[in-house]
Amino acid sequence: MTLSFFDQFMSPTYLGIPLIAVALTLPWILFPTPSTRWLNNRLITLQGWFINRFTQQLLLPLNLGGHKWAVLLTSLMLFLITLNMLGLLPYTFTPTTQLSLNMGLAVPLWLATVIIGMRNQPTAALGHLLPEGTPVPLIPVLIIIETISLFIRPLALGVRLTANLTAGHLLIQLIATAAFVLMPIMPTVAILTSIVLFLLTLLEIAVAMIQAYVFVLLLSLYLQENV
Amino acid sequence: MPQLNPAPWFAILVFSWLVFLTVIPPKVLGHTFTNEPTSQSTEKAKPEPWNWPWH
Repeated sequence: MTLSFFDQFMSPTYLGIPLIAVALTLPWILFPTPSTRWLNNRLITLQGWFINRFTQQLLLPLNLGGHKWAVLLTSLMLFLITLNMLGLLPYTFTPTTQLSLNMGLAVPLWLATVIIGMRNQPTAALGHLLPEGTPVPLIPVLIIIETISLFIRPLALGVRLTANLTAGHLLIQLIATAAFVLMPIMPTVAILTSIVLFLLTLLEIAVAMIQAYVFVLLLSLYLQENV
Repeated sequence: MPQLNPAPWFAILVFSWLVFLTVIPPKVLGHTFTNEPTSQSTEKAKPEPWNWPWH
């Protein structure tokens, strides 16, 4: 009983096909490739508006060296937000709840920012290990702490996304189960629970978007330190 | 907790990056944007008459 709530996160296989592959492949039909004409349909116009504004907002604090990452970061945002949002539909599998997928995205991207920093400006990149104006006795300890915080970043990045989505899905399932079970016993409480469930669903929609944005934003901040 | 199970982590890594790098960037790059329209100047342009110097 206790563990059955976690069954929704199991990566299912159907007819020998791992459904995570299907869940990763199919959502992109929602993003039609635009034609070369100036005017496209409403969906593409909306997506284009989002891509344009998002890229501009994200790259605003980055200097020119970081602008090469524009396509990568915007693609990552679309990737995460689409998977998070589609995962909220009932009876769907959410690939972004899988720790291996999130770490698989977080570690290489974080490593890329660090390598760029160490190659192009090693002094500045290593300088981030010691904040300016540190009192001398604190220097050795602070360098150790900052080094740990540097290396823990990809872990935090991956775990943050996994934990947020997992917690949301679990909470939705718990409250939905409660509402379902309470319906014949205490209808009033069940209706109140359903209202809470509705509000929670709204919150989870927000969380799905915010967490995708946070992932990309943090990555852009790591990049900003290194370009 | 099955979501923490790293089991086919390499397959997931390769497949997610394959999708992430081959499917989405062409769609993002496919978007083109027109410039913001600029308003026309209210002052009327005064073309100065000009002629060939030998006339």
